[in-house]
Amino acid sequence: MNSPILEIRALRAGYGPRNVLENISIALAAGEWFVLLGPNGCGKTTLLDCVVSRVIPSGGEIFIAGHSLRRESFAAKRQLGYGCAPDVLPALLTARQCLEVHAAAKGLSVIGDDLLSLADELRFTPYLEAFVDTLSLGTRQKLAVLLALVGDPLLIVLDEAFNGLDPASALLLKRQLRARIEQRGGALLLATHSLDIVEHYADRAAVLIDGKLQHVWPKDELQRLRNAPGDFEAALAAAMGS
Amino acid sequence: MTAPRLAAAKLILFNRRGRAGVKTRALLLSLARLVALVWMEAQAAPTLTWLRLHGLLYAGLAAVASAVTIARRRALKRAEFARSWLAAVPVSASIARWESLLIDTFPAIVAIGLLTIAAIAYTLVLLFAKRAEIFAPFALCAYLCCGIALGVIGSFLVPRPKPQDLPPGSRYVPHQKLQRTAKLRPSLSALGSWPIRQAFAWAQPKIVSRAIIPILVMMPLGTTADAAMAAIALFGMLGVLLLICSAVISASRFARQWLAPVPARPSDAIRAFLPPACAVMVAAGAIEALLLLAFNVSYRVSAEVGACTAVLGCLTASGGLLWYWRLKP
Repeated sequence: MNSPILEIRALRAGYGPRNVLENISIALAAGEWFVLLGPNGCGKTTLLDCVVSRVIPSGGEIFIAGHSLRRESFAAKRQLGYGCAPDVLPALLTARQCLEVHAAAKGLSVIGDDLLSLADELRFTPYLEAFVDTLSLGTRQKLAVLLALVGDPLLIVLDEAFNGLDPASALLLKRQLRARIEQRGGALLLATHSLDIVEHYADRAAVLIDGKLQHVWPKDELQRLRNAPGDFEAALAAAMGS
Repeated sequence: MTAPRLAAAKLILFNRRGRAGVKTRALLLSLARLVALVWMEAQAAPTLTWLRLHGLLYAGLAAVASAVTIARRRALKRAEFARSWLAAVPVSASIARWESLLIDTFPAIVAIGLLTIAAIAYTLVLLFAKRAEIFAPFALCAYLCCGIALGVIGSFLVPRPKPQDLPPGSRYVPHQKLQRTAKLRPSLSALGSWPIRQAFAWAQPKIVSRAIIPILVMMPLGTTADAAMAAIALFGMLGVLLLICSAVISASRFARQWLAPVPARPSDAIRAFLPPACAVMVAAGAIEALLLLAFNVSYRVSAEVGACTAVLGCLTASGGLLWYWRLKP
């Protein structure tokens, strides 16, 4: 069996004396789209921050494509693409420069044509020369996702990446992401509140409550919920409740 | 809630104090240090008499400063309140009037309070030091407080300034646009221009013009235009050094967070960041040396001062960079 693209083992993390995550273990296989659900403040963003090494965990281990994020950070990060929150993007660089810096940091000599054509399809190309602080929320969100896709990483990590996007762009992006992870044999970890993504795109979903994984829906259970008569959203909410 | 704006302002102040971890012990320690300083000053060189002789001048300056500050603050607070989360809360007209008066004049109230505390402390020190002029601090305090109070009243006569929003940081940043079709070339060189852009974003024309005013005020009467221009340029170069230095530190902190998920080598990032900023600082140091020469300072001293400021700037910027990219966990 192939090694998982992302493996989180007994992860614990927090801020100062406050513990946010308790004993989280997840493994994402190749081609898998994993959705992280949960109420506000439950620790979704902290979990993603640990995976992208923006927060140093207080315990546990994270492996990306078999590389330990703590011991082989450089090799692990080469396989990682992170769509940061729009307010983290540097205000005084242009969109072009953000892409160039990310590509250089990943050791690329050229930026792939597929990424440029995606930028074109998202109608992002006219904004390449604009400073980030002059871009609208949706356009910055597109830039954040494009940055995550630079270098065609094995693991894509997105935090509420479809917020502020127009419906057409969001749909295009979801289809592109689905196709990418299937073709590349990668995996996608997404934190979101929108259940339509779980209904139409997710292979597995998990609900995080008070820093603990409360329930993980495997592929077949999600399929059963999709096929069940009635409202998927209500069925999912009921399953979360139980 | 009878005065929601005031209550919210009070809570914000308390929260800020709590977040900053300001402890009563630290405040008392600072106060003790201040008293010790005042004691030393009272023992060494009495300046109170001189200060009291020029009391009217200080009162006038305090009046102008408080009039401008309060008028601007009123315009800003009015604009803020129009978009505030409390804008729709029902409040009676009389309460709204006095709470906005208190919020608008808050800096003046604080200044008067602090001056009074300082005057009482100073008087006590003078009393213990057995000095004759124990009422001098009160006289000085009275001049200043009257000046501030007059300024507050005068601020209502100042025509209301237009409320202005700060423009996006990039408005004053020069940027050569490339053709949309130009190829994307992976490179970290943009990191080098980031601190310089940040310095431009901070040095907005309005801020620069205000910074020049105190320099002009400091010029002795009879200064020629040439000398004044040279002096402004000298201060300008020092400003450039300070701005670039702070910009390098600020940008490197931000870049460290932004680039945390990518495999950027710290050495590469530092190499990209430093050279352009250091080049600007060296150029500023060289211009500073030339300007000092124009003031008839010797070649050697001019060169030393220029070199020292440039080296100091480069070292501070490098230290900040290293802290965020190498040392900080």
